[in-house]
Amino acid sequence: MIQRILIVVLLLLFQQNSLKALVTIDITRGNLDPLPTAISDFYFDDSIKPDDSIRKSRLDKKIPELVENNLQRSGLFFPLEKRSFIQKPEVAHATPRFEDWIFIKAQVLVTGKISLDKNQRLRVEFRLWDVVSAKELSSLAFFTTTQNWRRISHMISDKVYERLTGETGYFDSRIIYVAETGPKTNRVKRLAVMDQDGYGVKYLTLGNELVLTPRFSPDNKYVTYMSYFRNLPRVYLLNIEAGIQDLLGDFPGMTFAPRFSPDSKRVIMSFAKDGNSDIYAMDIKTKVVERLTDHPSIDTSPSYSPDGSSITFNSDRSGTQQIYTMKGDGTAVKRISFGEGIYGTPVWSPRGDLIAFTKFFRNRFYIGVMRTDGSGERLLTENFYQEAPSWSPNGRVLIFYRETPSDDKGRGGNAKLWSIDLTGYNERMIETPTDASDPTWSEILSKK
Amino acid sequence: MKLAKISFIYVAVLLSLFLGACTTAQKATAPAPAPASAPAPVAEGDAYTGTDTVKFLADGIPDRVFFSTNKFNLTTAAVNSLNKQAVFLKANANLNVTIEGHADERGTREYNLALGEKRANIVKDYLISNGIASNRIKVVSYGKERPANPASSTLAWSQNRRSVTVRPN
Amino acid sequence: MQSSLKTSLFGHLLIIVIGSLSFPFLSKKVEIPPIISVDLVQISDRTNIPYAPKVSDAIKSDKKEKERLVTTQAPPKIVPKEKPDAIPLPDKIQQIKELIEKKQNPVKVEEKNKQVSEFEKKEIFDPNKISALIDKAKKESDEISKRANLEATQSQQKNFITGTLTLSEQDAIKAQIFKCWNIPIGLPYDQNLLVRVKVKVNPEGSIISSEIMDTGKLNQTHQKILAESALRAVRLCNPLKVPKSGYEKWKEMILNFDAREMLKG
Repeated sequence: MIQRILIVVLLLLFQQNSLKALVTIDITRGNLDPLPTAISDFYFDDSIKPDDSIRKSRLDKKIPELVENNLQRSGLFFPLEKRSFIQKPEVAHATPRFEDWIFIKAQVLVTGKISLDKNQRLRVEFRLWDVVSAKELSSLAFFTTTQNWRRISHMISDKVYERLTGETGYFDSRIIYVAETGPKTNRVKRLAVMDQDGYGVKYLTLGNELVLTPRFSPDNKYVTYMSYFRNLPRVYLLNIEAGIQDLLGDFPGMTFAPRFSPDSKRVIMSFAKDGNSDIYAMDIKTKVVERLTDHPSIDTSPSYSPDGSSITFNSDRSGTQQIYTMKGDGTAVKRISFGEGIYGTPVWSPRGDLIAFTKFFRNRFYIGVMRTDGSGERLLTENFYQEAPSWSPNGRVLIFYRETPSDDKGRGGNAKLWSIDLTGYNERMIETPTDASDPTWSEILSKK
Repeated sequence: MKLAKISFIYVAVLLSLFLGACTTAQKATAPAPAPASAPAPVAEGDAYTGTDTVKFLADGIPDRVFFSTNKFNLTTAAVNSLNKQAVFLKANANLNVTIEGHADERGTREYNLALGEKRANIVKDYLISNGIASNRIKVVSYGKERPANPASSTLAWSQNRRSVTVRPN
Repeated sequence: MQSSLKTSLFGHLLIIVIGSLSFPFLSKKVEIPPIISVDLVQISDRTNIPYAPKVSDAIKSDKKEKERLVTTQAPPKIVPKEKPDAIPLPDKIQQIKELIEKKQNPVKVEEKNKQVSEFEKKEIFDPNKISALIDKAKKESDEISKRANLEATQSQQKNFITGTLTLSEQDAIKAQIFKCWNIPIGLPYDQNLLVRVKVKVNPEGSIISSEIMDTGKLNQTHQKILAESALRAVRLCNPLKVPKSGYEKWKEMILNFDAREMLKG
């Protein structure tokens, strides 16, 4: 009897020991689908009287609409239909009933409230909820004016994007490009700026002379571009706030292909002397110039790495147009493109790890990326004609332009802006009121 | 004896064709503005040889020369046209000109600006080497911004790869 | 002059002839057998997965609870020397059965006997175990769920309880979580894209609790974002489809969320 009890006890003990080790299961895969997101309308709280004109602004609908637009265009979020929402905005913002939102298949929820503070400043507050885990992820408020509601919407979009993807956002930014009109043989080109979602196009030049390749300074204060003012192709500097243009590349020869250094203090550009194009960097304030390449080949399209220590550029010193890198002082020149075809327009990613480029091979144009040592070349999109990729401020999206072929009457030849994700997905056209080319992206506007 | 002569000529012709095909070598050794000696003319490649789009500075003096894809070397036809232009300019000593260099649209914008600049400059250098004073000749590149033929065709592209000698208004 | 020309010509011809000849017997290709990577994994035996029906068979759960007391075997490795251990088993089990009958509700004794004998037979040579090992090397989730489904249609061999889940049981759970996990695509690739979630389930597969282990790392933003996505995945997959038996094995699990493969640049 005792023997049997002992055996049972021993067995039980054995059981306990053998079960102490928990089973571990490796979850190495998931899905990369856009995240189902519910963006509720915001609401005006009681501090805004029912007859207050602010209510007419309809910001309670417009702000979430813009946020939804941004998130949807990023390709990473799947906004759900508002018609299916069960809870009212004011209730959801206070304490969402998470089952209501899980029921419509949302995983996250954005709610918001618009109010007036005691100083009559407009206050926009938003909350981001994880409805599956039933908790609040983020809660922020912005003070602004009614007119500035778009910036607020973009900033809210950036916060939501960051909190859920782990990447910094890119919605509070602008795009500068060349607006084109007229026949192909005599195009009229003007500098144009707009919000990254296409809103609010403003023209910076009149179109009396050709303008090309505009670029923002990282501090968002200046634009540098090339203009044929007085039939002399030169690099100019435009002070955005003051609206003043300054001749920057005042050389006895063409200056072109300008870009800013990461600290916004220098403009790097090509200068063509006696037919030969080399790369120079100029301090904007002192106008002191440093020569960076000295070679009888064409050297152009320079672009700094985000830490300013290196430069990538385009050269045909090997006999064909290829991509090179060099140190910021012009030493250690190294070729990095070796595939078939010719390569141009290299641009260093803000993340520092990739260089985007244009490739021309067998009469087709490609936009692609490669690592900074030239390895891992990936072509993202192909077309009859497209070129000049430019990175979004978070290094995830590339904007570029495409042109359709034209007939001998000059019909066709339409240029439009396009964007594509680093992954090669989410290729989409960006609407502009006119034809457009040479787009580049600004830094985040709220960055100081 | 005759056979030897023929075969010698044959080999000579072969060799000259060989040399003519080595155009890339020329790029590295860009011709300096030397007096009298012109850069060696090259094979035509796909340079335009027609007369469409060609205007005239005066009777029988074409205002432009054409280039092969991605090249800025003067073809034999180009040299012939420029010789005529040089004569014309010598005869009209008060005339100053601007050489406009252009490229076709099958390339990236900034590189094409540089290529147009090379094409304009090689014409300027040739005219200088033929006795025209350098202060009479300005140079400007339009890259691919001002095509002569707006079509997207091989013919149009060849007509757009050009350097045009322009008289002021 | 002429003789030196002749020797030079001869020498050149000789080199040309040698160079143009191929020596097939010297350029034999060396066939290297491809390396098959094999993971050594602790598995009990091949099982079918009759998934626990959601609610209706709650009655049977009692019996399952009792079954766990029967095991005495250590988790087997694929080594024949296991055999000697297996043989004395029937006696022990007979003893245990007697004890159990005295203490709890009666258990079906006959089935147990059958199980043991079949297990013995398998011990002699089990190609299934080896193929199970090789299967583990494949990582396609489709494959995994396909296999899991296949298992469900095979013979009704019951699980012999050891201390770990069988390969196909693991695969079945993996396949479910794979579908529920919305990976934050923007996370930068680095070695830290790992998060462990401890999950407790009831016998029907309903999740009783889920919590992050290693909470110390959660102050890093990326870790937090990854952890939140893992928790959402677990909760969205509630209730899990779980094996019909062996509750003790999987009532508490650690899910090791590893985003590195998906986020590799």
